[in-house]
Amino acid sequence: MFLQQIVNGLVIGGVYALFALGFTLIFGIHKIMNLAHGGIFMTGAFIGLYSVQAGLPLWLAFILAMIGAGLVSVIIEVTAFRRLRQSGEVEFSALISSIGANLVLVSIAQMLSKTQVLRFPFDTFPVVIFKVWGLRVSALQLAMAVLAILLVAGLSWYLYRTGFGRQVRAVAQNERAALLAGIRPSVIYFQTFMLSGMLAGAAGVLVGLAFNSIHFMMGDPFLLRGFVVVILGGLGSVAGALVASLGFGVLQTLSVAYLSSRLSDIIIFGLLFAVLLLRPNGLFGQDEAGVLRGRR
Amino acid sequence: MDTLLSFRPLFDLFLIHLGFAYSQYIVLRAGAFSIGNVGLSAIGAYTAAILTVNYGLPLPVTLLAGAFAGLAFGALLAIPLARLRGVYQAIASLAFVQIVLSANLYAENVTGGAMGFSGIPKLVGTGTLLVFALATIHVMLAISRSRLGRAFDAVREDEGMAVSLGINAARTQAIAYMISGLLAGLFGSLEALHSYAVEPNQFGFHLIIVILSYVVLGGRRSVWGPLVGVALLIALPEISRPLADARIMIYGLILMAVMNFMPRGIVDTLVARRTRAANPEVRQAEVKG
Amino acid sequence: MTDLVLEHVHKNFGGVIASNDVSMRVPAGRITGLIGPNGAGKTTLINLITGMLSLSSGRVLFGGRDISAEPADKVARAGMGRTFQNIRLQKEASVLANVMVGFHRHETCSLVAAILGLPSSRREDALLRQKAMALLGRFGMAGHADSPAGSLAYGHQRKVEMMRALATDPDLILLDEPVAGMNDVEALQLGRIFRELADEGKAILLIEHNMRFVQELCDHVYVLDGGRLIAEGKPRDVVADPAVITAYLGEE
Repeated sequence: MFLQQIVNGLVIGGVYALFALGFTLIFGIHKIMNLAHGGIFMTGAFIGLYSVQAGLPLWLAFILAMIGAGLVSVIIEVTAFRRLRQSGEVEFSALISSIGANLVLVSIAQMLSKTQVLRFPFDTFPVVIFKVWGLRVSALQLAMAVLAILLVAGLSWYLYRTGFGRQVRAVAQNERAALLAGIRPSVIYFQTFMLSGMLAGAAGVLVGLAFNSIHFMMGDPFLLRGFVVVILGGLGSVAGALVASLGFGVLQTLSVAYLSSRLSDIIIFGLLFAVLLLRPNGLFGQDEAGVLRGRR
Repeated sequence: MDTLLSFRPLFDLFLIHLGFAYSQYIVLRAGAFSIGNVGLSAIGAYTAAILTVNYGLPLPVTLLAGAFAGLAFGALLAIPLARLRGVYQAIASLAFVQIVLSANLYAENVTGGAMGFSGIPKLVGTGTLLVFALATIHVMLAISRSRLGRAFDAVREDEGMAVSLGINAARTQAIAYMISGLLAGLFGSLEALHSYAVEPNQFGFHLIIVILSYVVLGGRRSVWGPLVGVALLIALPEISRPLADARIMIYGLILMAVMNFMPRGIVDTLVARRTRAANPEVRQAEVKG
Repeated sequence: MTDLVLEHVHKNFGGVIASNDVSMRVPAGRITGLIGPNGAGKTTLINLITGMLSLSSGRVLFGGRDISAEPADKVARAGMGRTFQNIRLQKEASVLANVMVGFHRHETCSLVAAILGLPSSRREDALLRQKAMALLGRFGMAGHADSPAGSLAYGHQRKVEMMRALATDPDLILLDEPVAGMNDVEALQLGRIFRELADEGKAILLIEHNMRFVQELCDHVYVLDGGRLIAEGKPRDVVADPAVITAYLGEE
């Protein structure tokens, strides 16, 4: 039973990772907190659902959702952030601007869904349960795990093994130096926002399938969890976000299973608070040495 | 007269949210990126509600208790948050808000849990709210003109510079947290004693976003920034009422547009433009720099 | 008299020695110079004195009291003012506001009075405004009182930093390249003010590249190279010291 909960937690954690990686990508590279990320995730779920309802096969709907969410993310970069980057006031103004973008997405979804909770048709994904060593694993869980692994591996390959990825990481380390070296910022922003949106879109469809519930407000709780994962994992760290997401998924599943679900949030956020006090830059973060108060 | 009366609930909301906005403003002014004030409002609201309903204490006592509870927790929050900076501070304070929220959900026999705490008598009307809101504006202006305001500005702009002038940065920010807690607790209490009931989710992520929008949109340096932000964002849904379903979208688009064209917020951007017009040298320096 | 005394001050950053057994004395009523090529560790030394950095070993005595372990704000309140090599001002605030922050440690009105805007707070504000204007007058900056500090020319910004440091009414002032970016006339004008301050009994530690300025102004000069003191004495003698000449020429 305990092992079963661990497996369930890992699968959920994998989906959290897809959501959180996109969020941490933007934060780590551009130092922008994109509060519209929850809305992009929700958009992915809606595109997936409407594609299936239009009669397309699930795999195609999944791909369309990823591309659609990626494009929405790029549009948000252009409309909500591009002008702010030049103003030197990005930290706060980008927060509010992305809240605005999120509201636009939420409002469109609310009108489309008429404030209803929507579901995928019953037979969208075959209900098959495998039993391995006494553990029950559904085909959907298996598919979620495989897709999460593939996408995370793809992202790592992209960031660490390709020329584009090298440029992106150069911008993350020192945007000005990278620009002097001839890297065009608009190209970088396009890539990171596209990738970030695609991952969120994938997470949206998977979450919609797993919980069989899609609604216009589904992004908010994920955004909260995204914060937790990003901070615990250290900003911009792919490996950190992955480990933190999986740990978070397991922790949440276990605390819901063995304690009250209402205690689960107290534990998770209490833990986050404690971790930040012990490691002011996150579990895997590097010391940014910004403290000037005492003698160093 | 009837139409005027129909705007009264909206005006009350404006006054309460003005207090919340200033409790957010004052920590940002001191350079601390904490959004914990929403949790402190919840603590104030529940303190006032419980003391009024369960113990039958009179209004001045409950308001004082609510404000003091906010102040005390604000002071406590300042200690751990002093170790953090920037976005880490924001996330830790967000965790604090979530912990308060979850605790209110969990402690059902004290707080009423998810159903909320209801049956609170309405002891606070527009007049009381107006008095407290005006007093808050007065205090904000007084702080601005005092050594405290100068210390806040110095710590926010450059902490290393501030300490070189003998300013104790941690203590200065702790004072900001306490003032913020006092306002949050007070206006949380007023909210509870004005609206018959409180429930945990009312003081969550959504309220954080709303309050942060007021302050950043209006301007987070000038005292008048939050006032303009609250007035605009409270009036907006009413003005756009004929648009019905598209109201939220308009709200979102306006947030985006204002930030795009006035990235420092409305009041601060206007102030900067006026200073620039009055000091032609500034333009020169900008061209050079 | 509030003298500053450094005893065997040592600092290493993970193996790199930034300050090597430095002992020196900055007496009240005198202008003491600290020179050395770029990267000699002058600013590190200032940061060690003012409490921005912690010492690896050694002591810093100020007015006979050991302040080596005290945090920067406490050191400042003990009566030490400084300027920064890379000017650090509140760029958007007015010159007057920038100077007024300097009065912080002498403000006496209570916190409650400040928060509630009681008359005592307002009286203090008005008084400090006057004092700040007097300082501005002394530096010939009265006409710039309301300009945003960031809009001023480089030399003027340095003056704002000095006025702010003076507003703390320090017993010791550490000036990190105060005349960089100024012409000779301006530098001379400032030199006169520094001399007046020393005559009032303040101790002044002057870090400067401009050798002519140092020679004209300083009573005593220390030369730092590679974190270590390589010479000290009267400015005239120091510039003739072969070790100093090598240190400077070696850099060229």
